[in-house]
Amino acid sequence: MRLRTIPIIVAAALGIIVPAAAETVKVGVIGTFSGPFALPGKNFKVGIDAYQAINGKTAGGHAIEFIYKDLDAPNPAKAKALAQELVVKDRVQYLAGVYFTPNAFAIAPLLEEAQVPLVIFNAATSSITQKSPYIVRTSFTLWQNTVPIARVALKQGAKKVAIAVSDYGPGIDAEAAFKKTFEAGGGSIVEALRLPLSTADFGPIMQRIKNSGVDTIFAFLPAGPPTVGFVKAYIDNGLKAAGIKLVSTGDLVSEPDLPSMGDAAIGILSTFHYAPSHASPENQRFLAAIEKGGGSLSEVMMTSVGAFDGMHVIYKMIEATNGQRDPKKAIEAVKGLRWNSPRGPVVIDPETRHIRQNVYLRIVEKQDGRLFNKEIETFPDQPDYGLTAQN
Amino acid sequence: MTAAIPNLTAWRKQAASARIGRDVVGVTIVALAGGAAYFTFPDDLALLRSVMIAALFVLSLDLVVGYCGVATLGHAALYGAGAYAAGIACVRGIVDPLMLLGIGAIAGGLAALITGSIILRATGLPQLVLSIATLELGREAANKASRITGGSDGLTGIEPGALLGLFTFDLWGRTAYLFSLIVLVVLLFLLLRLVRSPFGLLCRGIKEDRIRIRSMGASVFPQLLKMYVVSGMVAGIAGALAAVTTGVVGLDSLGFEKSAMAIVMLVLGGAGSLYGALTGAAVFVVFEHVVSSINPFHWLSMVGALLIVVVLFLPRGLWSLAGQIERRLLRLRGVGE
Amino acid sequence: MTTAFSILIDALAYGMVLFIITIGLSVMMGLMRVTNLAHGAFAMIGGYLAAYFTGGLGWNFAAALAVAVAATVAIAMPLERLLYRRIYTLPDPLMQLLMTIGITFVIIGLTNYLFGPTLKTIPLPDLLRGPVDIGPRTVPAHRLFVITSGFAVFAALWLLIERTGFGTRLRAAVDNGPMANALGVRTDRLYAATFALSVGLAAFGGIVGAELLPLEPYYALRYMVVFLVVVSVGGAGSIGGALAASLALGLIDTIGRYFVPDFGAFFFYLAVIVIVVLLPHGIFGRAHT
Repeated sequence: MRLRTIPIIVAAALGIIVPAAAETVKVGVIGTFSGPFALPGKNFKVGIDAYQAINGKTAGGHAIEFIYKDLDAPNPAKAKALAQELVVKDRVQYLAGVYFTPNAFAIAPLLEEAQVPLVIFNAATSSITQKSPYIVRTSFTLWQNTVPIARVALKQGAKKVAIAVSDYGPGIDAEAAFKKTFEAGGGSIVEALRLPLSTADFGPIMQRIKNSGVDTIFAFLPAGPPTVGFVKAYIDNGLKAAGIKLVSTGDLVSEPDLPSMGDAAIGILSTFHYAPSHASPENQRFLAAIEKGGGSLSEVMMTSVGAFDGMHVIYKMIEATNGQRDPKKAIEAVKGLRWNSPRGPVVIDPETRHIRQNVYLRIVEKQDGRLFNKEIETFPDQPDYGLTAQN
Repeated sequence: MTAAIPNLTAWRKQAASARIGRDVVGVTIVALAGGAAYFTFPDDLALLRSVMIAALFVLSLDLVVGYCGVATLGHAALYGAGAYAAGIACVRGIVDPLMLLGIGAIAGGLAALITGSIILRATGLPQLVLSIATLELGREAANKASRITGGSDGLTGIEPGALLGLFTFDLWGRTAYLFSLIVLVVLLFLLLRLVRSPFGLLCRGIKEDRIRIRSMGASVFPQLLKMYVVSGMVAGIAGALAAVTTGVVGLDSLGFEKSAMAIVMLVLGGAGSLYGALTGAAVFVVFEHVVSSINPFHWLSMVGALLIVVVLFLPRGLWSLAGQIERRLLRLRGVGE
Repeated sequence: MTTAFSILIDALAYGMVLFIITIGLSVMMGLMRVTNLAHGAFAMIGGYLAAYFTGGLGWNFAAALAVAVAATVAIAMPLERLLYRRIYTLPDPLMQLLMTIGITFVIIGLTNYLFGPTLKTIPLPDLLRGPVDIGPRTVPAHRLFVITSGFAVFAALWLLIERTGFGTRLRAAVDNGPMANALGVRTDRLYAATFALSVGLAAFGGIVGAELLPLEPYYALRYMVVFLVVVSVGGAGSIGGALAASLALGLIDTIGRYFVPDFGAFFFYLAVIVIVVLLPHGIFGRAHT
C-alpha cells in the first residue's frame, strides 16, 4: 500500500494525478429497495457487501463506488430514465442489478450507445441477454430452473398437471418450459392459467384447479406477497389434503416467506439454483460474511448470491480493462469465466452470456424449529434451456 | 348606449390586445426559462423533460378540472391512449416524431370522446367513480392485449426517426428536451387563447353554475365534451411525447397513480389558471426526484403533509401566491383593481 | 353444481370483507358528505396493529383484535378534531379528496417507517386456520369466520341505526342536517361518534380481511379505489345498499377470476360502469341536493 501511495503523493504534488491507479470505477445498481419487493432488493446490497468483505474493496487496484437507485416495481420508463441518469450524470462504467424483467428490457437498448455493460443480478426471462451484446447475467432463468422440476414430476408419476403462473415475462417462460418438457415425457397439461400480477385472492383459482381433476400443480409467481398468498390458498382450500401435489421453482418457497406459510409448507418440492442450506466451504464463507456485516441469515434470498456472483464478474471486468471504459473487452474477458460460487460450480456461457450452474431438487423441512429447503438431488451444469431451445 | 361609455370599442380592443400581450409574455418567459435550463443543467435534461411532459399532462387536466369543474381521477386513460398509440405506430414503422405526436393527439381525442360520453353524464362522486372505472377498464384491456401493447413487460423498441430529418434523439436527451420545450410552449399559448375565448368562458360558466347556463339556453353536455376532447388531445400529445422521447411505454401510463399524482400537482399549483398547472408540475416532479432518491417513503409523507397544508391554508394553490404578490405590488403602486 | 356453490362461498367471503370495510365509509359519506380517501389507511392501521400485537407481542387473536380496533379509533379521533372538521363544509369535493389523500400519504410513509415495506401477516388462532369440510367442498376456516363476522356487523348496525336513539338522530341528520341541528341534535357530537364508528369498522375489516387483502404500506391506496367504487355503487348512507353492492361486486369479481383469470378486474369495472350509469346514486341511495 505504501509503495503505491508514494508515487501518487509525488504526482499530486507535481500537479499530475496518475489516472489509472487512482480512478474510482463507478457502478450503478438499480434494484427494489422499497416497496413490497424490498427484501430481495436489500439482498442485492447484502451480496455486494459480502463480496467486498471477502475479496476486498478494490479490483485490480481500482476502488469501486456504488450508486444505488431505487425502482420498486416493473416500470420500464422509469428504469430507462434511471439508467440514463446513471450513465449521463453519474458517469458509471457498469450498470448492475435489475430485479424485474420489464425494466431490463427497457435498459437494454441504451447500453451500446452508452458503452456500458449491464450485469443482471436477477431478472430471469431468457430473451433478455439477447437484447444487447453488453448484457451478462448471474442469476438464473425460468427455463433453467423449470426443466428439471418437470422431469422430476414425470419421474414421480404425475400424469395430469395444472400450470399456474403470473402473467408476465418470467411466468410465461416458466409455463412454456414446463409444458414442453412435461408433454415431451408423455404427461398432459389440463389447465394453463395466467394470473395477473396484482392478484391477491387465489381462492377462485384454487377451486378451478381442484375441479379440473389434476394430480399435480406447477406454479411460478415472483417471490413475495404473491407466493405467500398462493401457497396459503393451496393449503387452506384443501388441495394439499386432497393429495394434489404442488411443485414449483424455488421462488415459491423462499426462506423468508416460509414462516408465514407455517408447517403446512413441509414437503413442497422445488428446483432452484441456490439454497442457503447448501453445504460448501464457499457458502459457509458467504454466510459468515453476511452475518459479520450485520445481516440476518433468515433474510438471505437468491438475489444475494446473484449479486455476489455479479460482483465477481464485475471485478473480473474491471481487472481485465484495468479500470478503463472498454465494454467489449470487459465482456470478452468474462465469457467462459468459471468459478466456485456459494451455490456451486458455475460458468458464464460464452454464447448466451448467461450463467450455467447446478440446479438442485429441494424439499421443505423443519429443523431446530426453523423451516428451510433441503437439497436432495443435483442436476449438474444446467444451461438456459430457453435460449438453447430456440436455437 | 355606446356613447355613455366613450370609446368602448377602442377600450375593448385595447383590453383584448393587452390579454394577448400578457399571454405572449407569459409564454415567452416559460420558453426563456426552458432555454436557460438547457444551458445551466446539461446533465439533468431527462429530469427537466419529464417535468415538461408532466406539465403538459397537468395542463390538459386543468382544462377539465379547473375550467369545467369535472371531477376525474381517470385522466391517465387519455395520456396512456396517446402513449400506446404513438408507441405501437412507431414499432410498426411510422417513425416521424411529428406524425407520432399527431397520432397521439388523435388517439387521446378519441379516448376522450369515448370516456367523456360516459363520465360527463354524471357529477360529483358518481362521476369520479366512473372516471376511475373507465381508466381501470382501459388498463386491464391494455394488459390483456399484450401482443400489441407488451402487457406487463411494457412496449419497448420504440425508435423514432430524426426530427425534421435533421435532429436525432440521442442518449443525452438534447433533441428530446428542446422538442418537448417547443411543444409545451406552443400548446401553452394555444390553450391560453382557448380559455379566454367565448368557448372557454362558457365552460367556466358551466363550472360556476350549470343551471344558470342551461337557463341561458346553452347546452351543457356538448360543450363539456368538446373541452374534454381538446383536453384528451393535449393529454394524448403528452403521452406520445413521453413514448417518443423515452422509447418505452409501460402499463403505468394507464395507472391510477398517474391520474392521482396529476391531480395533486394541479391542486398544489392551483387549478384554473394554466400557469398553476405548470408550477405544480415543476415543483412536484423536482421535489419528488430530489427527495425520493434519499428515501421514497419520506417523500410520500412530505407530499401528504404539503397537501394537507395547501388544502387548509392555500386552497388556490402555489400560483395564487403569485397573484397575491402581484396584487400587493399593484396596491403599492397605487393602481386600483 | 359444486362449482356454483364454491364460487358463491368465495364471493360471499370477499363481498363480506368489502362490506365490513366500506360500510363505515358509506355511513360517513352519507352523513358528513366527506369523500374520505383515508378510509383504507385506517383499515390498514388496524391490520398492522393487530399483526404487531399477535406477531410481535404474542397476544391472542381476540385480544389483539379488540385492542387494535380501539387503538385505531384513538389514533383517528384527533385527526377528526383537527383536520376533518375543517373540511366538512367545503364546497369543493376535490379539496376534501386531496386532504384525505394527503392524510393517506402521511400514514403510508409512517407505516413504512415503523414497520418496514414487507408484507405483514396476522397469525390466526388454530381455530381459524386451515380447511374445513362442509360437505360439498372444503372451505378455508378463515373464510367462514369472515362471512359470519359480516352478518354480525350487518345485524348489529341495523339494530343500531333502526332501533336506537343514536340511530334515529343519525338518520335525521343524514336526511336534513340543518333541520336536525335546529331541532336540537348535536350534530358535531354525532359526526364525531359516526367517525369513530366508521374508523372502528374499517379497522375491524382490515384485520379480518388481512388474508384476502394483504397488509403492506401501499394497502391504503391500492384498495381505496375498490372501496370507493363499492360505496358509490351501493349508495352512500344506505346499509342495505352497501351490503348489496359488496356482495354483487364480490360475486362479479370472483366469477371473473374463476372463468377468465387472465382478464383480471376487467369485468368488475365493466359492471361498475354499467351500474353507475344506470343508477348514479347507487342501488339504494338517494339524491342529495
